[in-house]
Parts: sequence; C-alpha cells; structure tokens
Amino acid sequence: MSAIVKRVEIKAQKRLKALLRDYFVNLDEAAKDPTRRVAWCTSVGPCEILTAMGFEVHFPENHGAQLGARKVSHLHIPRAVGVGYCAESCSYMTSDIGASLSGYSPLQEAYGIEGPAKPDLLAYSTNQCREVQDWWNFFGRRFDAPVDGICPPTHLGEVTSEHIAFVRGLLEAFIQRTEASFGLKLDMDRLKEVVSLSSRASTLWRQVLDTATAAPAPLTFWDGLIQMAPVIVMRGSQTAVDYYDMLLAEMQQRVSDGVGAIPDEQWRLYWEGMPVWPKLRELSDKFFDLRAVIAASTYCNSWAFEEYNGGDPLAWMAKTSIELFINRDENTKQAFLEEMFDKFAVDGAVFHNARTCPNNTNSRFGMAQRLREKRGMPILVFDGDLSDVRFFSTAQSMTNIEAFIEQLQEGRR
Amino acid sequence: MSVPLHVGIDAGSSATKCVILDGEGALIGHHVAPSGFDFGESAEAALTRSLQEAEGKIEDVVSCVSTGYGRESVPQAGRHVTEITCHARGAREWYPQVRSIIDIGGQDTKVIHLHADGRMADYRMNAKCAAGTGTFLESIALKLGVTLSDLDELAMKSSGDTLVNSFCTVFAGTEVLERVKAGEAKENICLGLFRSIATRVSEMMSSRNGAVGVTGGVVAHCRAMIRSLNEVLETEVLLPPMPQHAGAYGAALLAREQK
Repeated sequence: MSAIVKRVEIKAQKRLKALLRDYFVNLDEAAKDPTRRVAWCTSVGPCEILTAMGFEVHFPENHGAQLGARKVSHLHIPRAVGVGYCAESCSYMTSDIGASLSGYSPLQEAYGIEGPAKPDLLAYSTNQCREVQDWWNFFGRRFDAPVDGICPPTHLGEVTSEHIAFVRGLLEAFIQRTEASFGLKLDMDRLKEVVSLSSRASTLWRQVLDTATAAPAPLTFWDGLIQMAPVIVMRGSQTAVDYYDMLLAEMQQRVSDGVGAIPDEQWRLYWEGMPVWPKLRELSDKFFDLRAVIAASTYCNSWAFEEYNGGDPLAWMAKTSIELFINRDENTKQAFLEEMFDKFAVDGAVFHNARTCPNNTNSRFGMAQRLREKRGMPILVFDGDLSDVRFFSTAQSMTNIEAFIEQLQEGRR
Repeated sequence: MSVPLHVGIDAGSSATKCVILDGEGALIGHHVAPSGFDFGESAEAALTRSLQEAEGKIEDVVSCVSTGYGRESVPQAGRHVTEITCHARGAREWYPQVRSIIDIGGQDTKVIHLHADGRMADYRMNAKCAAGTGTFLESIALKLGVTLSDLDELAMKSSGDTLVNSFCTVFAGTEVLERVKAGEAKENICLGLFRSIATRVSEMMSSRNGAVGVTGGVVAHCRAMIRSLNEVLETEVLLPPMPQHAGAYGAALLAREQK
C-alpha cells in the first residue's frame, strides 16, 4: 500500500542535511585545532554554559542514535560487554563504547569524518539518567580528559524554588571548576545570548510539533525524530532558530492547505517512550499503511522548554533541566500524558518498553494500565529497544500494531 | 447445487489450520497441515482437504480471511486479520460469555480481554522469547528424549504441585536436569513445566473477571495444560470443541461477516 500512496516530503529536509554536515565538520575541525576546545555534553546538560565559554559541543546520545539508525548497534555492543558493560544496560552507551573500541563511527560514511571529535572536557547532567556518568567516565579514561557534571534532584513532583536554587548552585560550581581547569572566564552576557537562542529554537520547535494538533497532522513522530536534530545538537545557535523558522512556516502552510503527512488519516496516536532507531522505516511504513498518524510523542517534546524572557540565565537552565518529563514523578508524568492526549485528540497511545532504557520507559509501573482504565482508551505496550535490535521481534511487533488498529476499528463501529 | 463457502486460514508458526463455513455459518470442513517452509503450500493443502470434507469446490469460496504468523503469505485470502482478533472472534462464538481468552500457540501466547459486548478491551502477547509457548514444551521434551504427548501423560500422573521456576527455555532445561539429578519424580517435573507456562500466562492477565476460554494447539493436545491453568488461575477454564482451530474459525466468521 505504501508504494501506491506517496509520502509528502518535507522541503526543509535538504537544508537540514547541509546543516548537520556543517555541524559535524566544524566539530571535527575544532578537535584538530589546538586553539579550539571540544566538550561532550548530555542532551539536556549544561551545554549553553559550554557554548558560552567557547567550547564546540558534541552530544554522544546523538551518536548513539545514529548507530541505532544505521542498524549497527548490535554489532558493536558485544565489544562493550566484553570489557564489562552489561548487555542490558543503556544500548546508546554500550553501542557507543563498542563502536569506539571497534574504530567505527557512522560519521565516517555520512561525512568522511573519522569519529566523534576528541573531547577536552566531558560534561553531564544526570537529569535523564545516571548511566551517562559511567558512559562519560569510560571516554574520560579513554581520552584522558576531565569528566565533570551535575547531579540534580530526580523524580520530582512539583518543581519548587528551592529545587531551582539548588540546581543553580550546582551549575555555578560547575562553571567555577571549568573556569579554573581551562583558565577561562564565563561572560554572563554571552550566556544570556546563548540561552535566548536556545530558548527561541526550543519555542519554535514546540510550535512545529503543535501544528500536529491539526487534522490531518502535517507531520508525524517519524518526521519529528529527524527534524529534532538542530534543537538537540545546535542548541544556543542562530542556525537552529533560522531552521525552525523555516520548518514552522512549511508546517503552517501544510495546515492551511489541509495537507497531512499521511494521506487519508484514519487514526491519531501518541507515542510514549524512546524510538526504535533501527526499525524506524519498518515501523513508520506499518503505521503509514494502517493510515495511523503518530501525532505527538513525549520524546520529541522533551526538547520543548519553557521560554526564557530575560533575567537570570542560570535559573532558567536550572529550571528547564529539572522540569523535564523524564525527571518527574509518576503522577506528574501521567498528568502530562493526559494533557497531551487531549491536546492532540488521539484515539490511542503506544508505549514502547525499551528494554535497556528503564528511565525513559513508562510502562513498568502500571501507568499504561491506569491510563487505559481511566480514559477508556486503547493503549498498546510493546517490547523493543532504542538501539539493540536483539530485543525487538519484527513479527510480534507488527502483529501487535495491526491488532491495536483492529481494536480501534472495533471501538469505532 | 453449490453453496457459498467462507474460509478462514490460520497460518501458524507450527501448523496451518483451515475452517470452512457454509452460508448459514455452519462449520462443514476443517483441516490442520504442518506449516513447514512454505505457508502458501501448507494453506493450499489445508484448504484442499477442508474442501473435500465440506464436499465443496474452490469456485464456491466467496470469501477468505487469513490470520496467524504467515497471514500475509496466504494467496487465497482476500484480507488478513491478526490472530488476536480472530481467536477472540472464534472463542466468543463458541462461548459468548467469555471475557478473557488465552491462546497458547507454538510461537507466542496471547491473552485477550473482552468487554461485555464482545469488543476487544485489551490484549497482551508474550515478549520476544519462547517462555510460555508451545515451543517451550517442545524444546524441553526434545531435551528429555520424550514426545509432547509423553510429557502430558507423565504430568497427568503427578499429584504434586511442583513449579519449574524458570521461564527461559534454556534455563528451564537446566533446572529440569538439576531436579532429575536431585531425584525428583519425573511426573512432578513434567507437571511443573506446564505450571511454568500457566504462571507466565497469569502474569499476562490484566483482569480476572468473567469466564476464561482457552485456545491454541497446546491446550488441544495437552490435558496437563488445562489442569495447570485451572490450578494456577484458580478457575475452570473453558475448552472449546476445536481449540486449535479457534483462529481459523474466527477468520472464517469474519470472512462470512464481511460486506
């Protein structure tokens, strides 16, 4: 069926490819230039500080996702397991470590670059998970580079001013240590500028995602996974702002023209949890064939932060870093999901139980069942993984998804 | 005089089942063929034999729905529907009062919960693993050098309530050998294997309300499976007349209902 009905391509995609090339080539050049510095940073870590201090920033989680999307993670994970990393721990981490030990990087084929830029500093925040600390520590030892970061309070219900003040203090201490280690001085005006750009790109990204409240939805979760790259790896840059300005205009035009990402949209769904990077094409084809649009997801919305309106940039960074969905308690997460279900008017939700990512899996403590009962809405929970295909059964998953749509059809009759 | 026939074909991982209904919905032909390497061939074989039993001709077939693991490889089918929907439909036809259906197949196990009006409320499939499936029993039987039928007979002789704790097929094999070494009665060990599956199934049940029906090849051939389910779930499960054909029967019913 998918061969007959053509997908509507996103025009901005061409620009995105060029931007990503520039980003990785620039990082590679920085690593080879003794006058420049490279920092590795977690995806919602203190990257604005690093950018404001003049570091070029590499995001290893993005590299992990690229390994997954290239369908090679499971080939490299055994190398990491061999040196003592559990095969059931984060497959971003194990595949990234394994690929490094194998001397492989998807950047080689994509951009002719040997691999991730060698770091001068590895910075983290454990706001998403503690595994990043162990992951960074491996590369700190491997590259003989300092590892430093913050450990904010986790699983928060209400985010209080005390929490924000505490995390702000952690960021200040991190700045002081980094200034001392590298003989640098953070320019607060520059930080404000970077935070403003970061916030602006994030706001535009949210607006892009919100266009999918329209029916038909102009973009899907599958599009979002590609289009989210700038808000992650180009945070704090004018480039990201300009890109999302362009993408937003295209999506708004689609809404005006009534163009849906899926022709003849029949079902609107919500995706909770990590993507299955190695199976993106198969899964998106399956949902496409079933005329089911995944109109919204927790994952893509994880980079849509509250707007910065001037003032203390560190307080904004502190607040956004702990307000994240992943960093909240079960009740807050459930309330957020219900809000999203209503906002995007979905018929059902898909929960991905990512076997190596308990932190970004929310089907393990009865939430899917509670939501199913409370909302009377079909919810599918399926097993898989973000990167390691060995945890994913194509036949079972496809049957699960088809049965889910059959269940929705029965409900509509 | 020819009558319109409605066909359901369940191309399962181990066996391909076919059911033929007449225009009134009466089941007039059925057959099971090994799935082998080619779902198309096994579907053809099952259909041919079922037509013989129904005394019908291929030209009389007006609708055909396929289901099961190989549902997309059945050329005779005009539509394919998942085995989850088909097993629910088939079991509900036999037992309108069922609210939960347990299907234990060769490759996967499903638990399907229904609303009172028969609509699907929820369902679960086993994770990517042989735990709780027919393959689990077949693998252990092979390791012990007995047939599935022997395993069932031995288990039915047990008066104990042993449980093989491992869900994992490989670990369960090791556990069985450890128990044999420790001198445990083989009848008890065999029953423990069935109870292991029943325990795995119980974990998949999000609701314990209402009557429970069971379908699939394992319950069709193993009395010990029914006994274990009754004991572990603490209820008398309902075994339909043709449990292995429930998916094909459901598919045939859907074929007959389609406009």
